Amino acid sequence: MYKRKFVPLALGLMLAAAGVAAQAAPKAPAGGYGVGRPATEAEVKAWDIDVRPDFKGLPNGSGTVSRGQDVWEARCASCHGTFAESNEVFTPLVGGTTPDDSKTGHTKALATGTVPQRTTIMKVGTVSTLFDYINRAMPWNSPKSLSTDEVYSVLAYLLNLAEIIPENFVLSDKTIAEVQQRMPNRNGMTTAHGMWDIKAKPDVQGSSCMKDCPVSAEVTSRLPEFARNAHGNIAEQNRPIGPVRGADTTKPPTANAAGAAAAPAVMPTPAEPASPAAGLVGKHNCTACHAKANKVVGPSWDQVAAKYKGAEGAEDKLVAKVKAGGSGVWGAIPMPAHAQVPDAELRQMVQFVLNGAK
Amino acid sequence: MGSPMKIRASLSGETADVKVLMRHDMETGQRKDASGAVIPAWYIQEVTVALNGKAVVTAEWGAAVSKDPYLALKVKGAKSGDAVSVTWVDNKGDTRTDETKIA
Repeated sequence: MYKRKFVPLALGLMLAAAGVAAQAAPKAPAGGYGVGRPATEAEVKAWDIDVRPDFKGLPNGSGTVSRGQDVWEARCASCHGTFAESNEVFTPLVGGTTPDDSKTGHTKALATGTVPQRTTIMKVGTVSTLFDYINRAMPWNSPKSLSTDEVYSVLAYLLNLAEIIPENFVLSDKTIAEVQQRMPNRNGMTTAHGMWDIKAKPDVQGSSCMKDCPVSAEVTSRLPEFARNAHGNIAEQNRPIGPVRGADTTKPPTANAAGAAAAPAVMPTPAEPASPAAGLVGKHNCTACHAKANKVVGPSWDQVAAKYKGAEGAEDKLVAKVKAGGSGVWGAIPMPAHAQVPDAELRQMVQFVLNGAK
Repeated sequence: MGSPMKIRASLSGETADVKVLMRHDMETGQRKDASGAVIPAWYIQEVTVALNGKAVVTAEWGAAVSKDPYLALKVKGAKSGDAVSVTWVDNKGDTRTDETKIA
């Protein structure tokens, strides 16, 4: 926790207070409004989990590569691959670095461009960031479920795959500083830019139009109507990665696309939480991979409902399927296991999907 | 000699799940470098997976296989402690063998 972080917040409160005063609203009593209470020490401790580059905030513990491998196979490999080479959905975590990079502290492939896809290990400058991120946000479907020693172990396994540490290395709060001195891109980070220092040079320069700018763009050429569907439905031809699907070219362009140069991409819209189950699919992050009508990473709920319409035992089958995870029914992209979701809520969500996600 | 492969072999019942990540550039011979000169073809031609010295998979590969190839297979009738070895030979005659025990 950082005292400095609170300065903008305090400033914001003062501004808000000034705004309230300008509207002649009643002033806050001297002792406050009598609501809320100071956070307890335990509450602050639970919230204050960040690990800084100087390892302040790093919990005590240790982990080995071999234990990390077990945790990795069970919790991480379904998305990141056995060797962190990843699968169709996620970018690789390791690769693109050499033992030479560990000596210089600069990832050479970033400068030469010889590696087509940037991996996490190529870019990250501080090992504390890896620890903090795994500890805070992984695994995706049940963050903070790994113990401190498991986080150390998984990190050790990952660093071993990246050939930063040997197989017999014991990663702990004592040895992690040693690892920092071997990180391939540790000297590749700069703070001399406007994202870090407000007085520094911004990373973009808005120089094209600073005054009397045209209000609306003039469309000088466009695809004729008859050619719109010349290559078949573009929406169906995109790879099933990321939010952009391409326009459905079997339908005429929508009104707002006429003014814009490009047709709008069909964005997956998360379902509005209308029923309790609709709230649950948000709570358990189903909407990260599924939507009602569009295929996102996984199949749309409409597709699932259509496939299992009237099928006997479909509900039980799907409950088991969501809980255990798997792949093959809708393609090779795996669905992770969701063992942490209570059975009752799981059943409620499956019923919600089978009833048309309404 | 090449870079070391990463091999994992885990047992479920009587079937071993073997996963291999090889490190090889797998140049197709179609690419050109910055000066326009063709980069000569350099790829793995033959892969052999053996269980306790007995070949269970022999594969002939070509230029179409990606850089750093990933291979996964299941072997029936394996036991814990069995040795799984993977060998590749590339078109320059270079070869590499790595071995692991089934966990």
